[in-house]
Formats: sequence, C-alpha cells, structure tokens
Amino acid sequence: MSPELTDRTKKKIAEISSRYASKEAALLPVLHLVQNETGFISQQEEKLVADLLDIQPIRVKEVVTFYTMFNQKQVGKYHIQVCSNLTCSLLGGESLIDHLKEKLGIAVGETTADQKFTLTTVECLGACEQAPCMMINFDYYGNLDKGKIDDILDKLE
Amino acid sequence: MAEKILTKNFGLENLFKIGVYLENKGYAAAKKALADMKPDGILEEVKAANLRGRGGAGFPAGVKWGFVPKESDKPKYLCVNADEGEPGTFKDRYIMSHNPHLLIEGIIITSYCVGIHTAFIYIRGEYEAVALRLEQAIAEAYEKGFLGKDILGSGFHLDVYVHRGAGAYICGEETALLESLEGKRGNPRLKPPFPASVGLFGCPTVINNVETISNVPSIVLNGASWFCQTGLPKDGGTRIFGVSGMVKKPGIYELPVGTSLKEIITKHAGGMKEGKNLKAVIPGGMSAPILTADEIAIDMDFDSLMQAKSMLGSAAIIVIDEETSMLDVLKRITKFYSHESCGQCTPCRIGNSWINKIVKRIADGSGKRGDLDKIVKLANNMLGKTLCPLGDAAAMPVLSIIQKFRKELETYLGN
Amino acid sequence: MVKIFIDERALDVEEGTTVLNAAESAGIKIPHLCYHKAFVPEGTCRMCLVEIEGIPKLELACSTRVREGMKISTMSERVIEARKGVLECLLAEHPIDCPICDQAGECKLQDYYEDYGLFESEFRETKEKREKKIEIGKNLLHDQERCVLCRRCVRFLSEVTKTGEMGVFERGIHAEVSTYDGVPVDNDYSGNLAEICPVGAITDKDFRFKTRTWFLHSRESICPLCSRGCNIFVESHQGFSRFSLPKRVYRVRSRENQAVNGFWICDKGRYEYAYLDQARSVDISAKNGKGSSTWEEVISSVAEKTDRMYYRKRSGYMGIMLQSWLTNEELFLVKKIFRDDLKIEKIGFFDPPDGKADDFLLTKERTPNKRGAKELGFDLQPPDWERFFDNVEMLFLFASPLLDKMDADLLKPALDRINTKVLFTSHDHEIKSSFDVVLPVSLIAEKEGSLTNIAGTVQNFLPAMDALGDSKPEWQYLVEFARKMTVNSKYYRHLSSLESIREEMKKENPFFREEQ
Repeated sequence: MSPELTDRTKKKIAEISSRYASKEAALLPVLHLVQNETGFISQQEEKLVADLLDIQPIRVKEVVTFYTMFNQKQVGKYHIQVCSNLTCSLLGGESLIDHLKEKLGIAVGETTADQKFTLTTVECLGACEQAPCMMINFDYYGNLDKGKIDDILDKLE
Repeated sequence: MAEKILTKNFGLENLFKIGVYLENKGYAAAKKALADMKPDGILEEVKAANLRGRGGAGFPAGVKWGFVPKESDKPKYLCVNADEGEPGTFKDRYIMSHNPHLLIEGIIITSYCVGIHTAFIYIRGEYEAVALRLEQAIAEAYEKGFLGKDILGSGFHLDVYVHRGAGAYICGEETALLESLEGKRGNPRLKPPFPASVGLFGCPTVINNVETISNVPSIVLNGASWFCQTGLPKDGGTRIFGVSGMVKKPGIYELPVGTSLKEIITKHAGGMKEGKNLKAVIPGGMSAPILTADEIAIDMDFDSLMQAKSMLGSAAIIVIDEETSMLDVLKRITKFYSHESCGQCTPCRIGNSWINKIVKRIADGSGKRGDLDKIVKLANNMLGKTLCPLGDAAAMPVLSIIQKFRKELETYLGN
Repeated sequence: MVKIFIDERALDVEEGTTVLNAAESAGIKIPHLCYHKAFVPEGTCRMCLVEIEGIPKLELACSTRVREGMKISTMSERVIEARKGVLECLLAEHPIDCPICDQAGECKLQDYYEDYGLFESEFRETKEKREKKIEIGKNLLHDQERCVLCRRCVRFLSEVTKTGEMGVFERGIHAEVSTYDGVPVDNDYSGNLAEICPVGAITDKDFRFKTRTWFLHSRESICPLCSRGCNIFVESHQGFSRFSLPKRVYRVRSRENQAVNGFWICDKGRYEYAYLDQARSVDISAKNGKGSSTWEEVISSVAEKTDRMYYRKRSGYMGIMLQSWLTNEELFLVKKIFRDDLKIEKIGFFDPPDGKADDFLLTKERTPNKRGAKELGFDLQPPDWERFFDNVEMLFLFASPLLDKMDADLLKPALDRINTKVLFTSHDHEIKSSFDVVLPVSLIAEKEGSLTNIAGTVQNFLPAMDALGDSKPEWQYLVEFARKMTVNSKYYRHLSSLESIREEMKKENPFFREEQ
C-alpha cells in the first residue's frame, strides 16, 4: 500500500526535479516534501521516492539514515529538538533538557504516549546568540528558561 | 566608527523586500557589473581586493574563481555554502534573513564573472524560515528582471535555486556539499580533482560562503583598494563577528578585519555577564584552537590568529567563564565531532568515537592516568591524515584544550 | 616515462601510474585496504599514506600519480606511525574473532598487524556491538563487527554487477554496510564479494569452518564450465597423514587476466567444483583381460584390435564419440590418429546443449573447447545418432564429467549392439558396466594442456593437483595407443611430452601459432 501524496506536493516534486542535471539530485528536497506530509520516511516512502526519481530504494535509505533531520520512525506532533552543543550548554541547556524530560515524562529520544511531543537533542542550531535554544518542528525558540519553555509548550495545541 | 558593509542597512524595516533594497542602492553593483564591466575586470578587482573566504578556510575567492577554466564544454555552477554548521556561527543566518538581496546581488556578479548560469544556495535544513525568505527574495528578483533570461538587457542569464540540507555538519565541507546536492550521502571527495575543474555533476564549480559572496557587490561598486583600506591590506573588508557565551550582549558585530578580540568582547559585546570571569575564548568557531584569558589581546585576522596557533575560521567567538569546567567543554566538543563524522575514513570515524568514549568515561568518574595522553595520541592520528578537514577540525580544539588546561583536566582523573 | 625514487631506489614508470602501483611494480608493497585495482581509488582507509618530499602532509599512494623526480618514502618513521595509527583504530573496534574466523591466514588486518603492529591494545572502552551472522544472499554471510568499511563490496555491486544490493547506512561510528531490508544479494557474481573483502566480514558459507587457509595449496588452472576460460586458482588440501579428508578441493578463486576474465569469475565457476572429487572413476577395468592389467597392456590390446580393423578395411565400422572438454592437444591427437591415420569418418560430438549466457563472463557454451575443436577442423554438430550407431562394431567414447547429458535412452540400446567398446571417463556412470574397457582419465585441473576460449584465446595450463588413482590425461593414452598400432607409429614415437605434441599441433595448424 503506497502512501498517497497531495497533488500540490506532487506538483512541487515535479518542478523541483527539473532543476537538476540528474533526477537523483532532487532526493533531499523530495524527502523533505514527503516527510512534511507523512511525518517520517518508512520503507513505503523509500519505495515511493525511489520510483519517483528512478533510483533504487537502497539509495534512498542510505541518504535517509545519513541525515539527522530525516525521521526513520514516527515522531510526535511537536518534535522538540534541544541544542546540546557548547554555547547552549554554557548557558544552562542541560538543565532545560532535564526539565523537559521531567515535564513530559519521557527520556531523550522518546515520544509522549499521546503522540504529542517527541524530545531529542541536536547539535548547534546556529542561533547561539539566543542560547539556550531549541527548535520545535521548524520554529526556533531562544533565550529559554524553564518558565519560557512551560509557556511555549502550554500554547501548543 | 568603522564603516559597515554587509549590515549597513540592517536597521531598515523590510530590507528583505526588493522595494526597500532598491531604494537603498540595491542592485547598483549588479547593474554596474553587467553594463560596464567585463568578467575579467571583475575577477581582477576581486583578486586585488584579496577577498578571503569567510566560511572558515579563508581561501582567496578571486584565486578560487580563477581556477575555473574559461572555456568549458560543460555548464559551470556556483554553490553558495549556507550550511553554517560550525558551532558558534550564526552570521549567515542574519545576512540571509535581513538582507537576502545582497546575497542575490553577489551571486549575480560572481556568476557573471565566472560564466555561470545556474547557482544553488545550499542552506542547512534547520533554517527553514530563512530558506523561505530566500525563496521569496529570489522570486522578487526574477520578477524585477534581476534573475532569469537576459538580465537587465545584458544577454546574461542566471537561475538561482535554494537547496536545503538535512542536518549534517559535514555538508559544510565543499565536496561533501556537492555530494549532498547531487542527492547522495555527504561524503567528502578526494582532492584532486578540485571542484573548480570537477565539481557539481562533474562540472566546473565555485563554492563560496554566504558572507564571502555578499561582499562582492561592494567591491565592484567601490573598488578593491577601498576594500583593502577597510580592514587590513592583505585581509580586507569587515567580518561579521558572532559573539556568544558568557557575555552581556551576544550577537553579531560587523567590524573591520583586525579588530582586537578583547575589544570585541569587552566593548561591543558588553563584557562578561554579571559576576562572571573570563576563562577561555574560542575565537573562530568550535574548530579553532582555544585561547586562554591571557591570550585575548589579539587582532582578529587570519595571519595573527595563525601565528597564535589558532584560526579566524568563521569568526564565531565563544566566551567561556571560570565556573565552566573544561572537561564539560571537551565533552561537548568530542560529542559533536563524533556525531558529525561522516564515517568514511578510519582515523576520523573511529578516532573521534574513541576520544568521545574516553572523555565520557572521564566525565562519568572513571578517568585513568594516561587517558589524556591517549586522547592526544588519537587526535594526532587524525591531524593531517584524514580525507577531509573534519579530522583536523576535531583534533585541533581537543589538542589545544588539553595543552592549555591539562592541570585542570588531570583533576578529573583517578589513578 | 617518468623517473621517480621510492625508498631511494630509482625507477622509471609510465606517466599516470599511481605511487602504489609504481611501488608494486618494484616489489615494494604498500599496505592498503580500500584500494582495489578494479575500482577507482577511494582513499578512505588511510592505510596507504606515504611521505613525498616537498609535501608537508602525508599523501595517499593509491591515488597520487607519479611526477618526474618525485621522491617517495614508504618506510619513514612518520609513515610507520600513521600506519600504526590506522591499525590501532581498526583493531580497537574489531572483534578479535581470529580463532573462529575463516579469513585467518589471509586477513589483511592480521598481515598488517604482524608487519606494523604487534602492540598491546590501549582501548579501554566498550566496543560497538553489531550483527555477526547475517545471511545477505546466495552463499554469503556478513559480520558487521568485522567490517572495516572499505566499501569494496558496495563498489563491486555498483560498478561491476551494477545491481547495487549493498549500501552504507547511518553515519560516523554507527556507519555500517548492509543490504536493503529483505533484498538479498542476488547476482551470479556474488562469490567475488567474499574474495575481495579484506577481512572476515563477508565470508562464504561454502567454505565456512571447513578448513584453514594455510592448509590449502593454491594452484593456477582454467575453469572448464563454459567457454570463457576464466583463469582460476584451484585450492586443494594436501590431506593429513593420519586420516583422510572427504575432498581435496575446498575452494576455487578467481585469477586476474585482463585479456580473458578481468578480475572476476562467475558463481558457476566458483562453486561447481564438487565434480573434481565426487564420483570419480579411478580404476582400470578390462573385460576379457587376464586378471589385473596395467594401462599399457590394456591400451596395447585395444591398439591391436584397432590395427586389425583398419587393415581389414573396416574403418567404416568404427566410431568415436567425444565432447569438447578435450584440450587442443588431445583434439589434435584425435584428429591425427582417428581421422587422418585410421580414416574413421564416424567422429561425433555429443556436447551438452547450450545454457544461458549472461552479458558478462558466462558464455552459453557448456564446454571449454568448442573453439579449439572448430579450429582443428571438427564439425561440432551432433550427428544423426541412429545412423551413427548403425553398423558400428568398435566404439571409443571420450567422456567428460558431462557424460550424463548424453541421452541415456539413445546410448544404452546402441551400446548393446556394439562388439568392442572402449570408455575413457573421469566419473562413474551407470553406463560404465556396458563397456569392455574402461580407462580412468584426469580432469583439466589435474593435467597439462591448452584450451581455446570463445574469443580465440589459447591458454596453456599446468596441473593444479595430482591425478587420482590410476587416471591419466587422454593425451597420454592416445599417444601410447598410436605407438602400439602399426599404422603410423613412427610419428608418435617422438611425441613423449605434452610440449612436443603442442609443437606438432602448431606446425600443422597456423591458428595455434599466433602470438597470444
């Protein structure tokens, strides 16, 4: 049973593929588009993308497992990615991770039972001037403290 | 007050909109280049300006462009390196968010100079909002005739696309970037051949950092000697220093090349946070060897830092205070490089992981005498022996921290 | 040509040669893992780093091309230290499986550790744990802990077979080589993977735990299972003095020959070697003989009978059946003795039908010497066997391991009608009992000779192992047979060696004179 993509996504994929000298070069953009819809790249999506780009599914998996932003399994509605690199650590990032673990009741790498939040740590997000920071899905949040984190999470539906 | 080049108009509202940009001399350089200058002339100007790469390596951009064969039966490409993965670095994010048209203008001139008709901006996957802004700016540029066919009636055509990465620091390395752009794992390639002759899809390719390209319009507009007068003669222009860590005012500060590190920290970034004392500074992104508190009276330019056995790199300044344990700093660093190693070559793949395992063991309280020497040995195993500079980037900070803070680190060891 | 210096020795090498190959040509071995002559250099193992004067960093020997005046040092302190560094890293995360690993004795890690290592391990951490016995398809087993990520397997499947069944997943220390979920390695060249793996990460189930590599004698031979004539090594165990082993040959490996098979052999040639040891016919048998006879006596008596048939002008009642498994020299003798000397017209080939060819090495012909037979003037078209067997009073059958491809229903009744039947066979067959004389023959791997492959390349070969029991090569029987007859015995008197037969063959047939 192959996953269905929206027409809009299919159109975007076709448009993007035409930019490159080889179909394979569209792989990363296409994976982003597909993951945007399906949430993660399972074997089904690997096959789908492979067919779209005329490459073998194994080549898709090689790429999916190389890049940290491609999810190999389902993540929650809100993927909380907390920076654990140097500057954020200097400014107390570690204690914020602990706070999140406690608040959500999960360990790093896990998803809450209601599938709402997944908590992971990531490397430098490129927002060190706002350390400590985190990214939820693609939204950046900086200058965090426990209170701010609580506010942010509470506002998420 | 030193002249700002890149962030000059950052105060203007909606600078990212082409209307505002045009009202403030926007695209004047591109117009001048396409109408009044020949590609050779532009190349000479950029070479004379000695514009050095602002991504980390500091290679002179003009020299790099000059390596591309003038005649080629293959299409040529420009890849703008917007991967910005070097920890501590966030300057390109500012340029692209606040002044995307400056980058686009630089891309137009660079492409015209080298004979390129397709440019990709390879931007790190996490910068989704920034990528969207870039795409909007590019659309505006197409609309106004600055991109596409027959730009400004010059006969020159150029397409620019945004291409997002997906979370891999190694893709900031130029050949890994090319691999990633081609839809593959970000594995760096053997050099030679160099991208200037065999690059994207096997074609001649120029790869430059966002900030580097963004400097091109002002060089074209004001000339090479003007550029050299700002900054240093051999290392002209400004740098956008990104200060973070234990300072009062973390952020970006565009200052002439050669500004003193001490001045940047104490004057511009407001000095140490209340109650904090300076212990160490990483001057050029995580890969740059660390400086102690005694060593910050240093000019921030490529040569001065090289002489101090460190590097200017991405000009990302991370300020560390005395309450921070250097073991913790070491832990973050080794965790980072072992996580980001692509895994291709033996010394980096296993060396980084091994070092990381030792540091974790020390941090867990089971450090033994000889552990530090082992880390030094492993780091030297990587230095100069890996397939790409990530091995060096991983080895240098580790070696400098152990060298300069050995006494402190030894206190964490058992017997 | 450029002049370079390696370890202070001056060398003239062709422009464009890599330092590694230049050194190799001078007998200087530079250690390497990821480099393989068949693939574009990858430069990832970092084992082949050497010192080049004037260049501050150590450079890769596998990918650096020589330049005029280049001075290379392969054994300086810096180089040895770098090699030790790579070894140390590899061994740190390598399971020391040697006692149970089939690669032992031909393992690059073992070899290099012996040359450059011999240090104590300083790794005090926990090794990465991975899967150790993965069935990745066909005869292959994969141990991810032993893997050194040289990617030779991935590159082979992508560049040679173009099937791409394996890839590298994850990143950094977690990077691992693997097949795609549920898609096994499935091509006819899979066996080469176990061969090119420098360590025991990919091993062959066919060889697993059977014997140790150092017991094997590796000898050159030619694969006879199709007409490509791939060059191989036949690897046989010499046996122990106190007990016997179930077989001699444990393995067939590929042998490089750029003019014939490149670097590879197909799985058919690699794995179908059981015929070398199974069901062999090694004894002489002669009905109407006086007890146990020597082969010369048996041949003598056959020669006598044949002589008589010839002089009674009954050559038309003799028949010769053969397959194109015979060597060039043997086919030459068959032609000379039976066709030219004895004027026998009934010479028929009963080659097995064509199989499937692939678009690489495997040809459709299932015998190794059809071309040789053609060049010697034989008609390989099988005759009308009904007509062939009509009125045959004396039959010579030269059987190869493919005897059972001959239609038994056709052969049996025909044999019952024939007076004198002489069988030359390497293998047991139910048909043996119908023959008056059975002489055991040795196989291509056990004799000397030459074969002509599909492209017309003549390849000489020597025995890769001893013949079994009383078996002899066909050419020896034929020469003795011809000497014992009176028809033209003088000619054969001086043909005492295979070489002399070859010389005669070349004299009479210009095709075999061509420079190969």
